[in-house]
Amino acid sequence: MSTTSTSEEVKDNTSREDEGDAPNTKDEDKSNENLLECNICLDTAKDAVVSLCGHLFCWPCLHQWLETRPNRPVCPVCKAAISREKVVPLYGRGSKKQEDPRNKVPPRPAGQRTEPDNNFSGFGFGDGGFHMSFGIGAFPFGFFTSTFNFGEPRPNMPPHGTPQNMEEQFLSKVFLWLALIFIAWLLLA
Amino acid sequence: MSAMSPSERRLQKELMSLIKDPPPGVTVDAEQAEQNLLQWTIFMEGASGTLYEGERFQLQFKFSNKYPFDSPEVTFVGSNIPVHPHIYSNGHICLSILTDDWSPALSVQSVCLSIVSMLSSCKEKQRPHDNAFYVKTCSKNPKKTKWWYHDDSV
Ligand SMILES: [Zn+2]
Ligand SMILES: [Zn+2]
Repeated sequence: MSTTSTSEEVKDNTSREDEGDAPNTKDEDKSNENLLECNICLDTAKDAVVSLCGHLFCWPCLHQWLETRPNRPVCPVCKAAISREKVVPLYGRGSKKQEDPRNKVPPRPAGQRTEPDNNFSGFGFGDGGFHMSFGIGAFPFGFFTSTFNFGEPRPNMPPHGTPQNMEEQFLSKVFLWLALIFIAWLLLA
Repeated sequence: MSAMSPSERRLQKELMSLIKDPPPGVTVDAEQAEQNLLQWTIFMEGASGTLYEGERFQLQFKFSNKYPFDSPEVTFVGSNIPVHPHIYSNGHICLSILTDDWSPALSVQSVCLSIVSMLSSCKEKQRPHDNAFYVKTCSKNPKKTKWWYHDDSV
């Protein structure tokens, strides 16, 4: 599905009359029609854009995906790097206004998907599939120890799936804030 | 019918194509899915020539209204959970496309195909090493697990 060359798509485009939204999903037998389908919503692409890797999307669909994972903008189909600037809007012969679809965005509310572990902008770990809790070792209470467990498996438990412990996460955030307040107090005092 | 959300619209399309042209050994409970597009039951047969030949499994797919931007929640359910190094006895599956590597260009069909191939490439039926610990401590939703994808070969 991803090996179609752009020139073929253009040729097919001229040979069939398709006005935007097909209201019905029933007559999709011709495999040719798939060529003009958005890779995200599976409808005929509206406000179509093509990535440099050749994959077709509705701009609103692609935009929502880019908003969903702003830190890792990749093509949904082939995982090539992708960006707003590097997609090409497509204008068919019939289109009245050649307005760049990227200028009239966002038509839909952006999908806000917060990654559960990534709330600390200052500590940019947590993305590579490991669990990290953070504490301050020098804090004047004995139980505030730092726990880092990335890279090395835990000694007695292979880290196949590490259940996310929300409480622990919450506590470590509380401790971090306490520590920051404490440090600020030290500096100001 | 006219007030279908974008996720339902896409799920409806996926359902139609899965009914019409299912991957080998995969069937969807169409009636149930049509009643509630956000929760599907899928039956999967162990492929012939693999360790799971002759077995029949049941998968549950749950979709949020952010699908396909948000990955589906996929678990094995029912009485026969495949014994596999990446499948926990509670039905949770350690498969990166279900969380970190999800993409909106993936589909129910491609998830099913990944699971079929994950089963088919298995050389020894066994539970994950940390099965007992994980099953006791995990959240009900496998998407809440911070998976550690350490092995893509099985
Ligand atoms: Zn689209
Ligand atoms: Zn691509």
